[in-house]
Amino acid sequence: MAPADIRITAEPIDTGRCKFVVSEPVHGGGVRRFASPDDASGSPLAEGIFAIPGADVAEVIVSGNLVTVVKRGPAPWQTVGKAVGQVIRAALAGASPAVAPKPVAPATLGADDDTLYERVADLFESQVNPMVARHGGRVELIDVQDAVVMVRMAGGCQGCGMADVTLRQGIEAMLQQHVPDVKGVVDITDHAAGSNPYFAAAKK
Amino acid sequence: MLRPDTPRLLLLLPTATYRTAAFVEAARRLGVVLTVASERPSTFQDANPGGLVTLDLSEPDRAAAQARAFAREHPLQGVVGVDDDTAVVAAAIATALGLRGNDVAAARAARDKHEQRTSLATAGVPVPHFRLFPVDEDPRRLAAGVPYPCVLKPLRLAASRGVIRADTQEDFVAAFERVKRILEQAGCATRSILVEDFVPGREYALEGLLLAGELRVLALFDKPDPLDGPYFEETIYVTPSRLPAEEQRAVAACAGRAAAALGLREGPVHAELRVNGSGPWLIELAARPIGGRCSGALRFGTGGSGLGTWASLEEIIVRHALGMQIPSLERESQASGVMMIPVPGAGVLREVRGVDEARRLPLVEEVVITAHPDQELVPWPEGARYPGFIFARGDTPEAVEAALRAAHRRLQFVIASD
Repeated sequence: MAPADIRITAEPIDTGRCKFVVSEPVHGGGVRRFASPDDASGSPLAEGIFAIPGADVAEVIVSGNLVTVVKRGPAPWQTVGKAVGQVIRAALAGASPAVAPKPVAPATLGADDDTLYERVADLFESQVNPMVARHGGRVELIDVQDAVVMVRMAGGCQGCGMADVTLRQGIEAMLQQHVPDVKGVVDITDHAAGSNPYFAAAKK
Repeated sequence: MLRPDTPRLLLLLPTATYRTAAFVEAARRLGVVLTVASERPSTFQDANPGGLVTLDLSEPDRAAAQARAFAREHPLQGVVGVDDDTAVVAAAIATALGLRGNDVAAARAARDKHEQRTSLATAGVPVPHFRLFPVDEDPRRLAAGVPYPCVLKPLRLAASRGVIRADTQEDFVAAFERVKRILEQAGCATRSILVEDFVPGREYALEGLLLAGELRVLALFDKPDPLDGPYFEETIYVTPSRLPAEEQRAVAACAGRAAAALGLREGPVHAELRVNGSGPWLIELAARPIGGRCSGALRFGTGGSGLGTWASLEEIIVRHALGMQIPSLERESQASGVMMIPVPGAGVLREVRGVDEARRLPLVEEVVITAHPDQELVPWPEGARYPGFIFARGDTPEAVEAALRAAHRRLQFVIASD
């Protein structure tokens, strides 16, 4: 597919975070999280995003057809987003994969994330999902990288006006209590696509 | 690990608010311990009893008693309400717990349009001439005694829902019956309709913060689209205002007098005023921040290269409630604006086209579609939900306004009207 045919939708979450929904799969090997330019080495898409001038990118998370970018710079997403779109198109048009496969981590590090994944997965299955199911919701554990948990919300949670409360006061609080080694939670949900949110917002 | 002296904020978040993400994020950035209170229980409440609590947000006194019980185990240092109803609840809780906030009577006066008009008129604040009619009165009889044009308003509905202009007696009768139906649909306990003179002129919105009774203006927005009725769905807000400085000072003074007349002393205020040859007229003043997602148009401080150098409106409100130092109340130097996307028609939303194209336009920073697929869109005056918001920033208010309009023109809403 020619780069011009690739459709990319930017969905800013706030001034620091923005999700880019790409019409083509960007990375089929699960979730990859890049927390620095060094992490990004070998993955043209992430390398390019970290190199965007003035954005001061702090993090890039790639999963399926979603690219989530966290920046520290003051440049607005209107500017940075265009550059991100160019990088994504160029990376997908390149000869090498846009995102390299997840490297086999040293045994200790890999074991840490793998262990955390198992513990978080158990918590989600035994406690988190039965709770959100009462509102018709579901929370998928996508991956754990560098002790950061990546989740995707579905059902009544997707697009729900209280999704941030569920994430921070519910899921994150439970993780702090039951899996304290977890350093953070990232929501990679495409909330705009939620067609049946449990709570919908109205002005004032 | 949190320090023992980390303050705990009680955030009153109705489940239908747009403001969840902005306030939760503000609390996170400031590192405060957050307790979220809603009118319906979170499914996580048992798992996080200090972080989630259910309060009866429809009964401020009862909510205050519930909050007092909660605070015995989880001491609270501040309380914030995010909308008209929770502003009253926050005042009741602040009073009960000795926290920073408004008197309940003041918050109630701001909440009820008739009580507000009465207080302001008594204090000499310019407000439209008004009267209150029970919904059970015969509108044909009332119509003969009302000057035209006039505006009919429910006392407590938000977002100009049910607000209708009438130019003739026939208009009045039709509008009266329509407002009555809207009140019934909304389940309003208040069975009266406020009727006030229509005030011609341009409309402005003032965002402010009360500090010990002193109003600090955070932003004055122009509303460049005429709001002349018959319905009053809002569209564009742009700041800084293009009003001459002297008139801006008059607007701020009018809002300050209104806040004082109501007895408000602490926290956010959002005022809507009209300006004509007679000067500013106070149309509404609420003890809460700007509605919807519109606060995204505001940021404070000087920015810079590091994360966190801009402060959001919500951060300022949280800091104020907790007595934390507020680094700056100065809005950024750039012009900024937001468009509340008008409801394009009645029906079920299938799809919104052109969003990417709108986002790519110069100065456009964000296009947020908050209506979800298959959501029923209801136009004003029955409706109160915008399908989305457009944000833009630029060097001048004119450029920002043009960008918002250009972005809106790119959007196409696909609606099934069956």
